[in-house]
Amino acid sequence: MTPHSPGTDQIDTLLWIGFVAATILIVAVVGALLYVLRRYRAERGAEPRQVTGGRRIQLRVGGVLAAFAAALFVLGVLYTDKARETPTTTGESSGLLQLSSSETLKIEATGQQWLWRYDYPNEAFSYYKLVVPVDTAVELDLVSTDVVHTWDVPELAGKRDAVPGKTNHVVFSADQEGTYSGQAATLSGQAYAAMRTEVEVVSPQEYEAFLESTKTDIQAAQDRVVGLIEEGKTP
Amino acid sequence: MSSPARNPELVVDGFPTRRPRWVEIVTSADHKDLGRLLIGGSLGFLFIALVELLLMRLQLAIPENTFLDPVTFNRMLSLYGATAIFFFALPLAVGLFYYVTPLQIGARGTALPRLGQIGTWLFVAGATVLYAGFLFTPTEAGVNPLPPLSGIAFLSNNGVDAWAAACGLATLGFVLIAVDLVATLRRLRAPGMAWRRLPVFSWAAAIGSWQLLFISPVMLAAITMLLIDRNFDGIFFAGDAGGSPLLWQHLSWIFYTGTYMLILVFALGAIAEIVPALSRKPLFNRGATIGSLVAIAAIGTLAWMQNMYTAPIGIGWMYFAMAMSLTLIVPFGLVFFNLIATLAGGTVKMRAPLLFAAGALTMIAIGLASEVSHALVALGWRLQHTTDSTAATHFALVGGAVFGGFAALHWWFPKMTGRAMGETLGRASFWTMVVGILLAFVPLFFAGGDQGQVVDAYKFFGGNGALDADNLIATIGTFVLAVGIVMGVANAILSREGGAPAGHDAWGGDSLEWFALSPPEPHNFDVLPDVRSARPLRDIREAIAHSSARAEAPARESQPVA
Repeated sequence: MTPHSPGTDQIDTLLWIGFVAATILIVAVVGALLYVLRRYRAERGAEPRQVTGGRRIQLRVGGVLAAFAAALFVLGVLYTDKARETPTTTGESSGLLQLSSSETLKIEATGQQWLWRYDYPNEAFSYYKLVVPVDTAVELDLVSTDVVHTWDVPELAGKRDAVPGKTNHVVFSADQEGTYSGQAATLSGQAYAAMRTEVEVVSPQEYEAFLESTKTDIQAAQDRVVGLIEEGKTP
Repeated sequence: MSSPARNPELVVDGFPTRRPRWVEIVTSADHKDLGRLLIGGSLGFLFIALVELLLMRLQLAIPENTFLDPVTFNRMLSLYGATAIFFFALPLAVGLFYYVTPLQIGARGTALPRLGQIGTWLFVAGATVLYAGFLFTPTEAGVNPLPPLSGIAFLSNNGVDAWAAACGLATLGFVLIAVDLVATLRRLRAPGMAWRRLPVFSWAAAIGSWQLLFISPVMLAAITMLLIDRNFDGIFFAGDAGGSPLLWQHLSWIFYTGTYMLILVFALGAIAEIVPALSRKPLFNRGATIGSLVAIAAIGTLAWMQNMYTAPIGIGWMYFAMAMSLTLIVPFGLVFFNLIATLAGGTVKMRAPLLFAAGALTMIAIGLASEVSHALVALGWRLQHTTDSTAATHFALVGGAVFGGFAALHWWFPKMTGRAMGETLGRASFWTMVVGILLAFVPLFFAGGDQGQVVDAYKFFGGNGALDADNLIATIGTFVLAVGIVMGVANAILSREGGAPAGHDAWGGDSLEWFALSPPEPHNFDVLPDVRSARPLRDIREAIAHSSARAEAPARESQPVA
């Protein structure tokens, strides 16, 4: 899995830190355990020395472990803070979408059984597929209309829950055009496994065009429905 | 001339006729009968949980499988979670605590036996309610039934109510047993059995009981609120009406995290009895080890928000949870270090309990080391809710409850039945389980960590060779693990009648339970030795050796010199 956002770059680094830390711990415990089990097999008539312990060595081991934990805590906070930073918008988006480098493109993502709905700033909306411009800081406001859902597109951002009654936030900035897939990650009922989503990263011009055409299409569809109702034909 | 009886308690009007065995068991308030009921019941539910797990794994063997429909899968998932936690792991730990602790502290029973009896039968009642769900509709709300999904609006049948009642009854039962254990530990220790001389497993029982007294009321409150929400138009967990779904997450995760720690404290406590006895050394740094177990229970429970990194809570809370999780490295590390230091320099007899203990330590280490990486907040956003966390949790809890549980079962089985568990079948089951757990859960680390496969989903989508292979290997591994576990349980069943007679002190243990008969009399002990150290049986052995040496010396001197 290749990270495609500044935040996921940090998470990827943290993944290696976590992997190395876990490996050190597992190798230390299992290695020492296997060694003593092989080395100290019972012999006839041998009576081991009844050592009850030592405060010195206990404090030393505790100190080493505490230092290890503290180092991990510091690294965890450092990289988490970096991963949380709002990315800066670069490239053409800043001009075309009139976003300053510290502003984010706000899109509302609504989880509902079993589909994601995305509401764009110009009142256009889409289901299942989110379209965003490349190299642009996107902020998703996650909300839910029914049960708890988790929005998860691992190449672009860490996962976050959409909880009814609360708003959660995800920020990312895709560094490459393309399609990134994701899947809801909290059990939400029968069709949970099929509740997937897709993020299509396009150039700012294509994004603008997508918004315009979507809005036009939605308007056309609404006009048609309103027209049908006025004619007395309930759709 | 007849004088009044000097010992009136010896005047007996004949013995009551013995009642049938099942009546004895059903009416018994003896901690040994109840403990065996809990342990036997938990092993039965281990088997049922395995069947549910296997059905789910079969569904996930190949991509987009249609073996189980989504609803059936979600039911298996929900029942598996409840069964594994409330009806296998907890009653196994509580049952062994309840059986062994009074014997270890030299008590002739428990302080509040009827409470323990009610508790045990509440567990039975809970299990009955959960599986009575099959008569209508079992729950499909997941391992932890998060509102609003578990609310009446989304699951309107009675499955969730059955889950709530079942887990509530069982939890209430465990609390009552814990109250009895706490009272017994305070009031009924044998003369000389000071807290500083208490065996480590009894310390684990004390810690586990207090842990239950703290966390269970939280869960019972949450379950009550869920029942009110579902049946009486409550709004505790309704996000848009003044309540919050996050409330349930906080309350339930306090309980689940505390239970996680309780099971590890149980396993480590049992292992800390086995390792010294089978290496013929005292436990290295006993005091620090016990202190570490206390710290694990307390600090571990405080890390509950580690399960809520993706929820809309402040980043400060997440850092607090991370701090608590990472702090756990110190007490867990010290326990591991002290156990290994006990083995070092000893004369290690590699019997089945020690084999299982070593397996448990290995699997717990793998699980907890993975949890360390999940605790790093931003990495948690990536790894949590994927099969990577399934694998981590299963390594730690199968390591603790199954490997650790089997170690404890092998260890105390001779005390409970008078017969030893088969060594050959024990070893065979152990190695099968080791191969099984590694094959079953190592691939899930990669499926979750690398491919992002999410938890609890009834199907995954193919098109990716590595992900397909991971899932297929995991399914095969789960079958191997199940075969190993069934062999282990079969070993226990076969050995009840057919095992080698073990005598009262099967392992050369140092604690008082080995002073009682095997199986112990209903009153546990006729007489009790004075407890003068943490190793009372070793003191007796030394005293006997000493006095026989003294008795022999004059005899030798009086020998005629030829």
